Amino acid sequence: MLFVDLCIQGVIQGAIYALIALGLTLVYGLLRILHVAHAALFTLGGYVGVLVTNGSGSFLLALMTAMLVVGVVGMSSYTIIYKPLLNRTPLIALIASIGIFIASEELFRIFFGAYGLSYVSPPLQVQIEILPGISLSQARILVVILAVGLLSGVGWLAINTRMGIAARATVVDPQIAASSGVNVEIIRYGSFFIGSAFAGAAGVMVSLLNNLVEPTMGAVPSYKALAIIVLGGLGSVRGALIASLALGIIESFGTIYVGHLLDRDSIAFAFLIMVLMVRPQGLLVRG
Amino acid sequence: MLQIRDLCCGYRDITVLRDINFEIEEGETLALVGSNGAGKTTLLMSISGHISPNSGKIIMNGADLASKGPDKRCVLGVGLVPEGRRIFPDLTVFENLVVGGYSRPNKMQAENIARVMDVFPRLSDRKKQLAGSLSGGEQQMLAFGRAMMSNPSLMLVDELSLGLMPSVVDECYEALGKLVKKGIAVILVDQNSDAAIGFCSNSLILETGHQYWYGKSSAAPKVSI
Repeated sequence: MLFVDLCIQGVIQGAIYALIALGLTLVYGLLRILHVAHAALFTLGGYVGVLVTNGSGSFLLALMTAMLVVGVVGMSSYTIIYKPLLNRTPLIALIASIGIFIASEELFRIFFGAYGLSYVSPPLQVQIEILPGISLSQARILVVILAVGLLSGVGWLAINTRMGIAARATVVDPQIAASSGVNVEIIRYGSFFIGSAFAGAAGVMVSLLNNLVEPTMGAVPSYKALAIIVLGGLGSVRGALIASLALGIIESFGTIYVGHLLDRDSIAFAFLIMVLMVRPQGLLVRG
Repeated sequence: MLQIRDLCCGYRDITVLRDINFEIEEGETLALVGSNGAGKTTLLMSISGHISPNSGKIIMNGADLASKGPDKRCVLGVGLVPEGRRIFPDLTVFENLVVGGYSRPNKMQAENIARVMDVFPRLSDRKKQLAGSLSGGEQQMLAFGRAMMSNPSLMLVDELSLGLMPSVVDECYEALGKLVKKGIAVILVDQNSDAAIGFCSNSLILETGHQYWYGKSSAAPKVSI
């Protein structure tokens, strides 16, 4: 029973990681830039989720608003931070991205206070028995449904639509994709919107699971998501999704069995180091 | 159809090409000849929109292409078969062709793919195969097919025979001949400059970024590369 329970907890954690890591890996694939500021979008999603839910009483409206707002802010981050730096070395964009991330934590502190915000009446807290003896809150079930729905939706678009195929081609060789008539800028904006909106959705769900959103909420996901995209193979969407799930499950089991030796984040990074010692190119990139 | 007037271009502060002038009409062919580093690829990249000119004009069907990016130039009829093929290896043959036809309406896709398969029947058995698993010759055919998908009026072909078996090179020249018969203009770069000059009606010889000679291929001076 414990084994099944840990697997479920791992899948839930992995689903959250996957929603965050998708945007990061999309941006890396398209621009070869580590988009550290992505974690600030995750936090922004959490704030929008709490504020809209508390203001309107509708969690669904909050989720949709967060995805839309964070998606648009994500696109703006491309225009403001990355686009002017595309012809420079990626290190400059990385430093700018780290700067934006740190500044955003201070902005959240200034606008929303240092102690964080909570849901006045947290929604989706009813426990549902999914297997004999194992119950989950509606919120936890929604995390998995949301991740599976959104990620498979994007996967379907990438395989079955002309724009999705063009986006995959752009990741491989933007110059030749452009010469084939693909407007690379539209693909970049679309990817920033989708990746950021998903991070926003993850932010809403984490803020709901913890019933708290605070300025530094993005700190751990920022380096954890970087670890995930390295683990999956930089730029590989499928690799990032598998790595998210693997990391979620390893953390879940690790906290029970080796939790007295290492904390959750240490377990994640120990796993990352071990995998990279065997496959330095990541899980799904051909060596 | 395409006029190049006093074109100077290069990379950042380095000027690679100076004062290039030529023109090409529908169904005409132009061989770009010159030693390594003469600026052949730079000229093709400039026409396809990947390098901005420092000065001069690139005019296609009366429109100045200076402000247009590669995607807009593709819409206007510029097709590129790049050096080293540069097919999308993780996409299938079919998906590569879909990307090639991205600038054209969806309803033309099936018709365009059929046209490519007509010229390169070998690709029709490999539609679902990952492009990276094709042989070098098949990849070159796919690169041609991808460029054909946008119904170009001008095809830029860079290093046609590089790394290919002679029989495949013949096949590619044969396919190019079919395209020219349909009225497509071709600017061709090939390491085998004799083959390129022999195929093309006109030739332009570049020497360290300068236009050394331009005219009918039949009158081209012998060059040692």
